[in-house]
Amino acid sequence: MMNRREFIKVSAVASLSSLAGGCGPSVRWDRDAYRKTATSRVAILEAKSYRASLEDIISHGIHLFKLDVKGKRIVLKPNLVEFDPKGVINTDPAVIEAAISSFRSLGAREVVVAEGPGHRRDSEYLLTASGIYDVINEHRARYVDLNTDDVRRTKLRSSFTNLSELYLPETLFNADLLVSMPKLKTHHWAGVTLSLKNMFGVVPGSVYGWPKNALHWAGIHGSILDINSSLPIPQFAIVDGVVGMEGNGPLQGQARHSGVLILGDDLAAVDATAARLMTIEPRKIEYLEMAGRFLGNISHERIELVGERLERFQQNYRVIEHFQALKVLTG
Amino acid sequence: MIEAAIDLLLGAQNEDGGWGAVKGKRSNTESTSFALMALKSLDDKPFNRQTAAGLKWLLQHQRDDGSWSLNDASKQSSWTTPIAVLALLPFQDQREHALRAAKWVLTQEGGKPGWVASLLVRLSLVKKMTELDPYLSGWSWTAGAFSWVEPTSYSLMALKKLKGSLDGTNCEERIRQGELLIYDRMCENGGWNYGNSRVLGEALWPYPEVTAVALIALQDRATNDANQISLRALGVMMREAASGTALSWGILCLTLYNQNLQEWKRILVKNFEKTRFLGETKAVALALLASGKGASLFRV
Repeated sequence: MMNRREFIKVSAVASLSSLAGGCGPSVRWDRDAYRKTATSRVAILEAKSYRASLEDIISHGIHLFKLDVKGKRIVLKPNLVEFDPKGVINTDPAVIEAAISSFRSLGAREVVVAEGPGHRRDSEYLLTASGIYDVINEHRARYVDLNTDDVRRTKLRSSFTNLSELYLPETLFNADLLVSMPKLKTHHWAGVTLSLKNMFGVVPGSVYGWPKNALHWAGIHGSILDINSSLPIPQFAIVDGVVGMEGNGPLQGQARHSGVLILGDDLAAVDATAARLMTIEPRKIEYLEMAGRFLGNISHERIELVGERLERFQQNYRVIEHFQALKVLTG
Repeated sequence: MIEAAIDLLLGAQNEDGGWGAVKGKRSNTESTSFALMALKSLDDKPFNRQTAAGLKWLLQHQRDDGSWSLNDASKQSSWTTPIAVLALLPFQDQREHALRAAKWVLTQEGGKPGWVASLLVRLSLVKKMTELDPYLSGWSWTAGAFSWVEPTSYSLMALKKLKGSLDGTNCEERIRQGELLIYDRMCENGGWNYGNSRVLGEALWPYPEVTAVALIALQDRATNDANQISLRALGVMMREAASGTALSWGILCLTLYNQNLQEWKRILVKNFEKTRFLGETKAVALALLASGKGASLFRV
C-alpha cells in the first residue's frame, strides 16, 4: 500500500497534469461498457530485435486468439507522439509493417494506419522522420490523421470525467477492429502508457487541441477510462516491447531492451501484464485499477499467460521519483 | 510545384464551397480559411468562382456570436475563429464580419489553475513540473482549457490587424498579455513547441511550425532578443524538419523578418515532389502562400 507521503506525491502529479493535466474520477459505467470476462489471455512473445521475423511472430499471436479478420477493415493505431532521433518515443515502423503484412495475409479487407499525435500537428514530419511514411508507402496502406478526420459526437458509456460525450473520428465507425499498438513505456503523468492510454490518440486534436488539454483538465485517468469504455468497435492490442522506455516517459526516458511483443484481446489484461513486465504494480495505476473493475482483468490470477513466461522478460524499469510507490508489486 | 499545388487545392474543394483537411473530408473552417487565403494570394491567376464559393461557405458558417465552429459536426465556437478573420480581411467588403469575430476572440481566455493547483504552485510543486507562469492570459484550443502558443498566436495576429478598429475594448491589454505568455513559453535555446519549455526539469525541444507562427504573431517586436534567438533557431529547425507545413510557415515567417528565402523555396519544391504534403489542404495552401505573395496576408 502507498503511505501518506507517497499518496500526496502521486495525487499532486495527477492534479497538476492539467497544466499539461487533471482531477479525480467518480465510479460509474453503463451496462454495455462492462467487458470483463471470467479470465483473459495475454500472449508474451519473444522478439529479440526489430530485424526478427516480426510478421511471423504477430501472425502467430493473432492465431493464438483465434481472431477472425477475414474480409474486415482493421485500423492499426500506433503510438506516434513526437520524434526525437536519439529517442525511442514511437512504435517502431518494423512492428507496424509486420502488423500490416500479418493482417493482410490473414485475409483482412483493408489495413489502415491511423493516429492523432498528441503534441505535434505536423503529421507529414512525424511520418517521414519516424520512417512510418516509407512503410505506408511501400505497402500502399492508407494513413488517416485522426486529428483532422471527420468526427461524430458519441455518448460516453462511463462517467469518470464530467464529459458526457466525446467527438470520435469517423474512421473508427467505419472499421471492424481497432488494434492499439503502443510502445512499452513509463509515463510521467499516468505512471505507464500502454494500449489503453494509447487510445488518447484517437481523440481528434482539431476538437480537443494539441495537447488534448481538455481531456487533461477533465482528468487523465478518467479520460482514459471514458475513451476506452466508449470505443465503437472491438479492440486488440500489440505492444511494442522490443525496445521500451523507462524513466521520464513518454518522451524523454531512456531506451530499455525487453525483446518482447505483448498481444491480447483484453486491453486491461495486456496493460496489467506489460506493467508487471516493467515491475510496476498495475493496481497502483489509477486508471488500470479502475479498468480492472469493468473493462477487463488486471489480477494475475485471472490472466492466463500464453507464449513466454513473464519472469523471463521481467525487468526493473525505472520510474520518476513521484511514482516510486508503483514499483512495489503486490501480486 | 505551383501548378500542381493549385490543381490539388482546387480538386479538393467540396461541392458546398469549403475544404476539408484532405480531399473528400467534410469542409472545416481552418482548411477553408487557408485555402481561401492561398487563392486570394494568387491574384495574377484569379479563381473567382472557387474563391466566391469558399467565401460563401465561410460567411454562411459564421455563428451569431461572431465565431466559427470547427465544422458542421462540431457546433461549438472554436479556435479556428482568428484564422477565419485572417482569411476574411483580404476581402474589402468583409471587414464587418472580421470585426465581429475579433470581438468574440476578445471574450475568450485560457483557463487558469483552480485552488488546488494554486495551492500546489504556492508549495512550489509546479516549478518542478512545468516551469511556466500559469496565470498569464492567452487563448486555448477549447473553451476553459489552458492557454497554448498556437491558438494565442493566431488570436494575436487577428487582433493586431484589427486593433485600430477595436477602440473601447481591452484589445491592447489582451495583446500585451498574449505576448507575455508567448515569451514565457519560449524554449531554452529559442523557438516554441505547443507551449511547455520544460517538464519535470527537462528542457523540451521547439517545433519549426509553431516557432514560425509565434514569430509571425510577434513580428512587430522583431528586434527583441527573444525574437532574434528564435529566428536563428527556426533556421536550424527548418533544415531538420522539412515538411510542407514546417517549411511553408518558416518561409512566411522569414519573409516577414526580411530574411533570404531562395534556398528554402527550392527545398519546398523538392519536398512537394516527394510527398505532395500528404494532400493536406492546409499544407498545400501554406505552400502556395509561401511560394508567392502570401506573407503579406500575415503582416500586422
